[in-house]
Amino acid sequence: MEHSFASPSGHPQPHQRHFNPYSENGGTILAIAGANFSVIAGDTRQSEGYSIQTRYAPKVFRLTDKAVLATNGFAADGNMFVKKVRQRLEWYRHAHSKDMPIRAIARLIQTMLYARRFFPYYVYNILGGIEEDGSGAVYSFDPVGSYEREACRAAGAAQSLVQPFLDNQIYFKNQTPAHGTSHPAHLPLDHVLELVIDSFTSATERHIEVGDGLEIYVVLAKGSTPQVLDRWQGVTEMTTTQDGERMFVIRRNLKRD
Amino acid sequence: METSFAITGKGYVIVAADTTASRSIIKMKTDEDKVKTLSPHLLMAYSGEPGDTVHFAEYVERNIRLYQIRNLYPLRPSAAAAWIRRALATSLRSRSPYSVNLLVGGYDTASHDPHLYWIDFLGTMTEVPFAAHGYGAYFALSLLDRYHDPEASLEDGLIALKRCIRQVEERLVVTPGKYKVKVVSKDGIQEIDL
Amino acid sequence: MNTLVQRFSTTSAQSEINKAKALAADDQDFDDFAWGSEAGFGTIAKGVPTFSLPAVPDPRAFLRLHTDDHADPNCRIKIQHGTTTLAFRFKGGVIVAVDSRATAGSYIASGTVKKVIEINPYLLGTMAGGAADCQFWETYLGMHCRLHELRNRERISVSAASKYLSNLVYNYKGMGLSMGTMICGWDKTGPSVFYVDSDGTRLKGNLFSVGSGSTHAYGVLDQGYHWDLSDEDAQELGRRSIYAAGHRDAYSGNTCNLYHIKEDGWHFIGNYDISKMHYEGPGNVPGSENVGYGYDVRVVGRSSANPPPSAPTPVVAA
Repeated sequence: MEHSFASPSGHPQPHQRHFNPYSENGGTILAIAGANFSVIAGDTRQSEGYSIQTRYAPKVFRLTDKAVLATNGFAADGNMFVKKVRQRLEWYRHAHSKDMPIRAIARLIQTMLYARRFFPYYVYNILGGIEEDGSGAVYSFDPVGSYEREACRAAGAAQSLVQPFLDNQIYFKNQTPAHGTSHPAHLPLDHVLELVIDSFTSATERHIEVGDGLEIYVVLAKGSTPQVLDRWQGVTEMTTTQDGERMFVIRRNLKRD
Repeated sequence: METSFAITGKGYVIVAADTTASRSIIKMKTDEDKVKTLSPHLLMAYSGEPGDTVHFAEYVERNIRLYQIRNLYPLRPSAAAAWIRRALATSLRSRSPYSVNLLVGGYDTASHDPHLYWIDFLGTMTEVPFAAHGYGAYFALSLLDRYHDPEASLEDGLIALKRCIRQVEERLVVTPGKYKVKVVSKDGIQEIDL
Repeated sequence: MNTLVQRFSTTSAQSEINKAKALAADDQDFDDFAWGSEAGFGTIAKGVPTFSLPAVPDPRAFLRLHTDDHADPNCRIKIQHGTTTLAFRFKGGVIVAVDSRATAGSYIASGTVKKVIEINPYLLGTMAGGAADCQFWETYLGMHCRLHELRNRERISVSAASKYLSNLVYNYKGMGLSMGTMICGWDKTGPSVFYVDSDGTRLKGNLFSVGSGSTHAYGVLDQGYHWDLSDEDAQELGRRSIYAAGHRDAYSGNTCNLYHIKEDGWHFIGNYDISKMHYEGPGNVPGSENVGYGYDVRVVGRSSANPPPSAPTPVVAA
């Protein structure tokens, strides 16, 4: 009974005992939303088991001038998924002559992930960018499409190292403000960038799958000044249109051992 | 679906256990007493692996009695509980360990306060104001968090116990049936018909 | 023989897969989703969405192998589990209360999950089991409730809405969907609550709790529940029950989200930190005495010791 099999669609198919189309390629991604900006970062190491496949495989991708998608998990699925999301966004641009708003991209990603409910993309996604009202936004997804808007989120190999640090430094969890003061609701951009860099250098120290390079995407809302970025080295502007949101990427090295 | 409860109150401990003895899907007996009187001020409810339970309970009973005969005074609840826990822990490291969960409730006639110990088959012990074993614990503990009063009169303590029993009857798929209820206080042990 | 039976059977889950497979064709992403058409809803507005399936003899076993964390805790795709949700009907409407914790194994993946899904201003759904399954299908249900309104010029009943969802998930029975939800709302018949799960069970009732912490919630809920509860007391009961579950069940916790459905639709009452409820209570809210719910907080200073009146007070060990 077990030897040959007619597939549901009728095509003859060889019987495979273990069909495993998934792998795990390590790395960590992270996104933080500010009042009028959003920071999305990821390391660039790609590994399988103990072998490093490459020291530069981007996990953070520009979708539009105001939306960035970071993917983590199985790199092949991640790359394919980003490709398909970009295709859908291009069609949207052709049909509506504008970029899709980020909350709509979030819902699109949900339906695209859920369409593979029975053959999931093994990818954890974090979407960052600027909402239509000009506020910074971060949306995080599970592999089959459940999502939530948050202020910050880490995912991937070092999630359990980075997220508690962020909870403490962004949400001020388990911290009591000094008498007569209160915790800020939103942190300024340089402070956030420092937290991101510290997160990744620390994760690199303690996690074997994190390291090599760091890419930090910064999306600024319309009208906000990018002067803060002057004191940072390795900043490249990625903006493609005039007087809209502006996008920058900061590239840094992480330890390579 | 064995279930046992114990609740402390002002000067007493109520210890209750269901009275069903089952084997596979069959109720073999519906009036089994699973609350043993270990000494004039000490009660123990036991549940777990059939066979182990009664054997272990009787072993404990005889040794507690022996101590009293030898020394002319009984063990205080804390000492008795510690000895019982140790007996379980020793058994756990033997070739055929006892698989028995216990609730030990006693009244300390020296310090005039009730004590209740929750002990499981691994030899974990903790002193608590109220306790439960079996599936009943999943329903009763949150209920007792809400309604238990350390200074409750016996009457109010029994009302809390009835709440637990009713809750389990209402929600558990297989209801344990009737319960044997005993109370230990300064006046010794008393059986209560709910 | 088995394969033959499966191919021509119309009731097995395998035949469902066959149907979905036939619908999905080869490049399911292209035809229906293209161009952001269908008002941006893609396949969704056309009826049952289509799903791509792995080209293996048994897609269900494939999915189980890679996603089921009970069978294999090391499997790669962790679907979030662990929850406490409750809903009950009383004279003043429906109370819906949930926790906000999502766990993946023993890691707390999120403490801010919205487990109440706002289907429309009159309908709420709760989320237990697979987060994506609940979010997706209840959103999808919301679309069909709107279509019902447009077609029939009246709001869908809670009964019909829940039946719609129940039939939907029953179509996928055996394929690994995991959801236990309460569909709650107010319609012509008054307040109502329906429990719907991915087995296809659909129950009408006054009081339900779903999830790993449900037994603990029931312990408090059942004891405090009666039909004639005042609005404030009902809200307090919902909060206390979620607190109890958050306290006793490790897979539940963080915060409690509370909703109240009245004749004019649902109202969000508040978000309450469970640790804060333990020590300080829920804050200054109607129905609450604003003292900590915690047992140790409540009984502080009370003792079971019963010294005889004449005897000197003994030193009681802490």
